Amino acid sequence: MTAIAGKIISGSFGSITVRQKQGANIEIGQLLTAQTKQGKVLMQVFDLLYGSQLSQQNLEMISGMKLESNNDLEIMEAETRNYTLAFLKPLLLINGKDAKVCKNLPEFFSDVTEIESSDTEFLEEPPNPLLLGKLRSGSKTTGADIFIDGQKAFSHHILIAAQTGRGKSNLMSCIIASALQNDYAGFLILDAHDEYYGRSRHGLKDVSEKTAYYTPNNPPPGTRTLTINITKIKPSHFNGVVQWSEPQKEALYAYYRKYGSKWIDAALTEDDGELKNLFSESTISVIRRRLTQILNLETANNTVSGKGIFDTQAGSTTISDIADDIENAKAVIIDTSSLSSQVELLVGSAIASEIFARYQNHKTTGRIDRKPTASIILEEAPRVLGRDALEQGQNIFSKIAREGRKFKVGIVAITQLPSLIPREILANMATKIILGIEMAPERKAIIESAAQDLSQDDRAIASLDTGEAIVTSTFTKFAVPIKAQLFETMAGNKKTAGYTQSFPGLKS
Amino acid sequence: MKFAHFADIHIGSWRDPKLSEASTQAFVKAADACLEQAADFILISGDFFNTSLPSIDCLKEVAKKLKQIHDSNTPVYVIAGSHDFSPTGKTMLDVLENAGLIRNVMRGNVTDNRLKLKFTVDSKTGTKITGIIGKKGMLERKYFEALEKENLEAETGTKIFMFHTAISEFKPEGLESMESTPISDFPKGFDYYAGGHVHHPYLKQTEGYGTIANPGPLFPNSFREIEKLGCGGFYMVQGEKGRLNAEFQPIQVHNTFSITTDCTNKTPQEAEEEITNQTADKEFNNTIVTIRLHGKLRAGKPTDIDFRKISETLYQKSAHFVMKNTAALSSNEFEEIKITTKSIEETENLIIKEHLSKIKIDGMSAEEEFELVKNLMSTLNKEKDEGETTTTFERRVKEDAEKTLKIKL
Repeated sequence: MTAIAGKIISGSFGSITVRQKQGANIEIGQLLTAQTKQGKVLMQVFDLLYGSQLSQQNLEMISGMKLESNNDLEIMEAETRNYTLAFLKPLLLINGKDAKVCKNLPEFFSDVTEIESSDTEFLEEPPNPLLLGKLRSGSKTTGADIFIDGQKAFSHHILIAAQTGRGKSNLMSCIIASALQNDYAGFLILDAHDEYYGRSRHGLKDVSEKTAYYTPNNPPPGTRTLTINITKIKPSHFNGVVQWSEPQKEALYAYYRKYGSKWIDAALTEDDGELKNLFSESTISVIRRRLTQILNLETANNTVSGKGIFDTQAGSTTISDIADDIENAKAVIIDTSSLSSQVELLVGSAIASEIFARYQNHKTTGRIDRKPTASIILEEAPRVLGRDALEQGQNIFSKIAREGRKFKVGIVAITQLPSLIPREILANMATKIILGIEMAPERKAIIESAAQDLSQDDRAIASLDTGEAIVTSTFTKFAVPIKAQLFETMAGNKKTAGYTQSFPGLKS
Repeated sequence: MKFAHFADIHIGSWRDPKLSEASTQAFVKAADACLEQAADFILISGDFFNTSLPSIDCLKEVAKKLKQIHDSNTPVYVIAGSHDFSPTGKTMLDVLENAGLIRNVMRGNVTDNRLKLKFTVDSKTGTKITGIIGKKGMLERKYFEALEKENLEAETGTKIFMFHTAISEFKPEGLESMESTPISDFPKGFDYYAGGHVHHPYLKQTEGYGTIANPGPLFPNSFREIEKLGCGGFYMVQGEKGRLNAEFQPIQVHNTFSITTDCTNKTPQEAEEEITNQTADKEFNNTIVTIRLHGKLRAGKPTDIDFRKISETLYQKSAHFVMKNTAALSSNEFEEIKITTKSIEETENLIIKEHLSKIKIDGMSAEEEFELVKNLMSTLNKEKDEGETTTTFERRVKEDAEKTLKIKL
């Protein structure tokens, strides 16, 4: 028999008051149900309060006597007189596999019970399933898997709001691993902490062969050196990454127009009289100095060479290879841990521009339906999507955030400061995965832009433990509390095929 | 120490006898240059031949030159490439090795699914050489993945690693779709990495590795390569450990002259006129002339352009060979249906990959299935050898298929 957790005693539609049964131990965020004639109402606890039949004055008196006189005074029928009041909001009206918006109040004085497995039958696996975790009721995890349509979710952008140490990398790894089991999405992961590939511990390489890893630091066997040929960099890639004055910007574009893909080389080596007439000497020297410094180049004997990831000899196909992999539904991990934020964003900008241009072309040529969604995973998203960044003009990431959905290109923006992202961009992110956020203004920004009404969930968000999250999405029927899987467990369970290999052509 | 590094000679690749002859002559010229310059040894980094069993016509001159090289005490070290490798092991490279004319350096053994390569030591210079063959569809990737690198990296002395694989980091523009393997799959610390497969010469240096070189073909292998490269060549490398200097030596068998004409809004006569104008004041002594036409004609059909007349005029001006390419030429009257712009091999790979795992074979992964299909296609693609009876040919194909499928037919 289902455990009764309490009884509905009063309240309004958005705030149903339940008296907790002694020993039921109702928690913030817990899911409870109440039977109605139409079906079961699924409700969630958003606040808890002490209740007592004794007056406040009497309670204060009794506690004083116990504290100061050290006597063994007990309240008669304490379980009946003192109790907990829980405040619940209705989420859904469920009827077996059917679930719809709840528009009735459960009957007055009806029992509320803890959620049981038959209550989660409506949580079906959608097309292009993306596993987010297990349904959570308070701090307890149920056996029900929570899926959303991954293709839609990724193309309509995802925001992951979390403070450090709340398990966002674990959650992201689990989400990507789930998506890689299918072919509906490819990923560009700008990995600022070099944690997704799993160089020295478990990582995405251990759960899927559909991973490609680019690193500037001693690449492990089978992975690529991160090197990008300077001929692949365009002036537009600097938008939102480097602040140029108007004349400097014009000079960059003038070199690009005149010299095409060789514009950086020309800007650093050519003594171009025509361009010198158009721009002041100081403008040209500033762009020379800054290009040299940002791209870590060296010019000797009028020859440009690269000292970092930007190269003049190698990396001609890197951006194109990455875009190919993403179009083949792979996860491309770029280790940017040793790069400055500026260079990381420049690399991201160059790749994101290529992907966006390709997908725009796929749309025009009618091939977009056959392509997986391209998703760009961006840590500290306000660097390019924040108000300050956008004041400097549009960049490729903000363009994707605004228009990418039409072209199946999405962003997964990870941040602990969602309030820095303008509301219209936040609202464009159809799925928000909220992990623990302690700062009230940040919770407010998320609550105000959520797909479902989270106005009563401030406490629930503040009390989220590591790995616990609330998913609010236009692709879910309610704001779903989840518990993320443990990626380590997932990666550790991977089986390796054991067969004998032959190497024809090998001479003894 | 001085050695020569050839790759992608593709003996027998051209159907036209003049170009086939030119390809063979490129090898002869390069070999002569090595003998003249007293190279200690020659490396051929795959695709010496265009097929595993080339025709006798192609072989006569090559075998004669190899014998001359051998007699002058200049060893030739080779690896098989994607064209001249055969999973059955029946290749012309094997024949030449058994005759003592060349030495295959992919030697070693397999322990616990790990590939442990051994070095072949050049007796004259003490240079230690090893390498990995190239296979169709980048099937050599598993060789790199299984390669035991520690022993190779720990070996002292001057070391050369031969390979017939595109390196991801160094793929040139225009070859984006070429399958490749990253440099991290290669053993570190070799003095020279003698590459092949990419028909585009390059010489690179990257941290942890010595000189990485790819000379491109000795003679261009396609219409586009004639246009792009003009001629092929090889690297002559000399110096000592840590100070090797590679110099590209072009091999010019014939001069080349390329004409590209945009025929958009022109009539066939106007297109013809433009070609004639471009060649009017020129002599084409010993020159291969390529004519590429593209765009959409205003009237008429591409076949209305009188190439016979153009060719005759060019031959009268002593051209060695005239080639045309009208793949991108169309007209309102006739528009070709394009099905793909990819190479035959890429198209084959795409089709195989599309159909992988459609029929479940127990215990076989998709990669193994891909390899089996590629090997089977290569086995069944054999042509009847000269002098071979139909019965012998059929038996040979059957036996090879049995070996590939590991079953008795």
